Amino acid sequence: MRKFGLTTALAGAAFLSLAGMAAAETVRVTVAEYSSKTGPYFEEAAKAFEEANPDADIQIEVVPWDVLLQKLTTDISGGANADLSIIGTRWLIDFVEQGIAAPLDDYMSDEFKERFFPVFLEPSVMDGKTYGLPIAASARAMYYNKDLFEQAGVTEVPDTWEELAAAAEKISALGDDIAGFGLQGKEIETDVYFYYAFWAHGGELVEEDGTSGLDSEAAYKAAETYKSLIESGATQPGVTSYNREDVQNLFKQGKVGMMITAPFLSNQIKEEAPDLEYGVAAIPAGPDGDRGTYGVTDSIIMFENSENKDLAWKFLDMLFTTEWRAKFTEGEGFLPVNPEVAKQPAFADNADLKAFTGLLPDARFAPVIPGWEEIAAKTSDAIQTIYLGDADPKATLDAAAEDINGILGN
Amino acid sequence: MIRSPLTNPYVLILPGFLLAAFIILWPLYQLGMISLNEVNRFGQLRGFNDAENYIAVFTDPDFLGALWRTAIWTGGIVIGTLLVSVPVAIILNDEFYGRSIARVIIMLPWAVSLTMTAIVWRWALNGESGMLNSGLQNLGLIDQNIQWLARASTAFPVQIMIGILVTIPFTTTIFLGGLSSIPDDLYEAARLEGASRWQTFREITLPLMKPFLNISIVLNMIYVFNSFPIIWATTQGGPANSTDILVTYLYKLGFRFGKLGEASALSVMMFALLLAFTILYVSLAMRRDSK
Repeated sequence: MRKFGLTTALAGAAFLSLAGMAAAETVRVTVAEYSSKTGPYFEEAAKAFEEANPDADIQIEVVPWDVLLQKLTTDISGGANADLSIIGTRWLIDFVEQGIAAPLDDYMSDEFKERFFPVFLEPSVMDGKTYGLPIAASARAMYYNKDLFEQAGVTEVPDTWEELAAAAEKISALGDDIAGFGLQGKEIETDVYFYYAFWAHGGELVEEDGTSGLDSEAAYKAAETYKSLIESGATQPGVTSYNREDVQNLFKQGKVGMMITAPFLSNQIKEEAPDLEYGVAAIPAGPDGDRGTYGVTDSIIMFENSENKDLAWKFLDMLFTTEWRAKFTEGEGFLPVNPEVAKQPAFADNADLKAFTGLLPDARFAPVIPGWEEIAAKTSDAIQTIYLGDADPKATLDAAAEDINGILGN
Repeated sequence: MIRSPLTNPYVLILPGFLLAAFIILWPLYQLGMISLNEVNRFGQLRGFNDAENYIAVFTDPDFLGALWRTAIWTGGIVIGTLLVSVPVAIILNDEFYGRSIARVIIMLPWAVSLTMTAIVWRWALNGESGMLNSGLQNLGLIDQNIQWLARASTAFPVQIMIGILVTIPFTTTIFLGGLSSIPDDLYEAARLEGASRWQTFREITLPLMKPFLNISIVLNMIYVFNSFPIIWATTQGGPANSTDILVTYLYKLGFRFGKLGEASALSVMMFALLLAFTILYVSLAMRRDSK
């Protein structure tokens, strides 16, 4: 009897879900997993949307960042892609050139456009059309450990790379397992860590004539800066075995005096090392006062082959209302991309976030060019070779610049 | 026995063959097609482009480096595994108290996913908080932390060592099977004749184990050549591509840089290389066997 009941229930459930599917319009959304909060947030949004639109069925697929591009590539080549997806904005040009992302201008009202800070919407505009909406934004700033500063007798937060080097050496002298400047030399954003000093010396990733800027004086100077930090023991030993998380972990353990990273580190410190006395400051400037932080946005795009574009847009519209944006941005520890969200006390009164938003005028984004991932990899390779001390920095950078010029089509 | 057309061996293996063809030959054909086409980032074909993908792979300096390292990687692990597994199998073949437990212990690493093993090693090799460094320091072997994964000269040998470690269970199992097929009276006779342990090993064990050695060499070679997780989880082929083998290089080409045409060309080349090597080895081994 019990078995019978279960079977009936199952059959009934199956029938109901079939019937539901027949009536509902389905929108599939591929979501990148920023943290453990990402999945639940989008599921909640989907549920709220389905309640307001009984005919809608929103399916959320959460994918780890590492494999997102791979999944999208296989999905698209197999014609099985979702209707909406989060992508790194630096990938967008490939999606647009191959006609895979749909332009959104027809859906966007002026009121909708005004919800964004223009600086964050711009990277998704190509040939005058908007192809993506900034779902997440962050910049980089320098975190410093106040206790280590005090112990080493460093009273001023370094504002130039020279001051940073001096402070880092003093802090490193505190002990064997203490590093003044945490330097990352492995995996994602290894190239970016190099750009901070590169930009400070006035470098440009792609110069005006369309060639790589790695064979410039600024790049040589930046390489020297980092190399002398490594050689004087101002960084942790073996920098090429540390990725971004590794250096952040050292910082949380109080073993690193200064490091440059994204706003989400403050969230992690709050949860994992609440006693750490730290501050957030600008990335140091070069001799001429130049400085640059790395601005990153991720966009959510609509696929050209989506069959339910109107409904997909409706869901996007909800995601970009102030209430849902604030919830996402606060949970993940990103910078607000919407003025209304930025005005809320959770953001406006957050000193760490203020330091980051203060840097935005200096923010530089990855250049929007095809093949950027490969260029970044070539740059990382060259930088790792220099960090290891295996080759002459100038020759290594020149060779990398030549390779990159090949990719740029020069 | 009367043979009806239905029990003809060719008819009987036909379903299996068709299934294998569908699973193996069809993707291979697809791969070949992609490798001869211009392909965009999303795997959509854009017309034939002669052998440009192959030329691009061949002229990439990273390819030659990865090829060379693949040879070291494969050779190192296959030979290293052989050197460890033969004595281990011989010991486990002897009767001793707790042998079945020892056999289970040898097999256990096989039950753990390769990626998981590699990630655990990544932690153990961590320069600052890794177990390996603290272990070596406690033993007094080193007095300063070694950054194992910081450069290829330490990372690559360690990766090969992990490779050997995870290949041992499977290989030992093959050898144990082989050893149990050698009749005991051969050893008894040899002992009566006064043969030393080394002599019985050389004259009885080794020749009779040969088919099993051959199988383990061929299978391990194919498997290790294509093995991705250890290197990817520990260094992702870095720093500066210095621990890249062909598979990790292939992954970067295909999924990082979106050059699916070149990636397909490389996989076709890898397939051809392995096939040629296997045929060569098997035919050499067979010829010696039948002599």
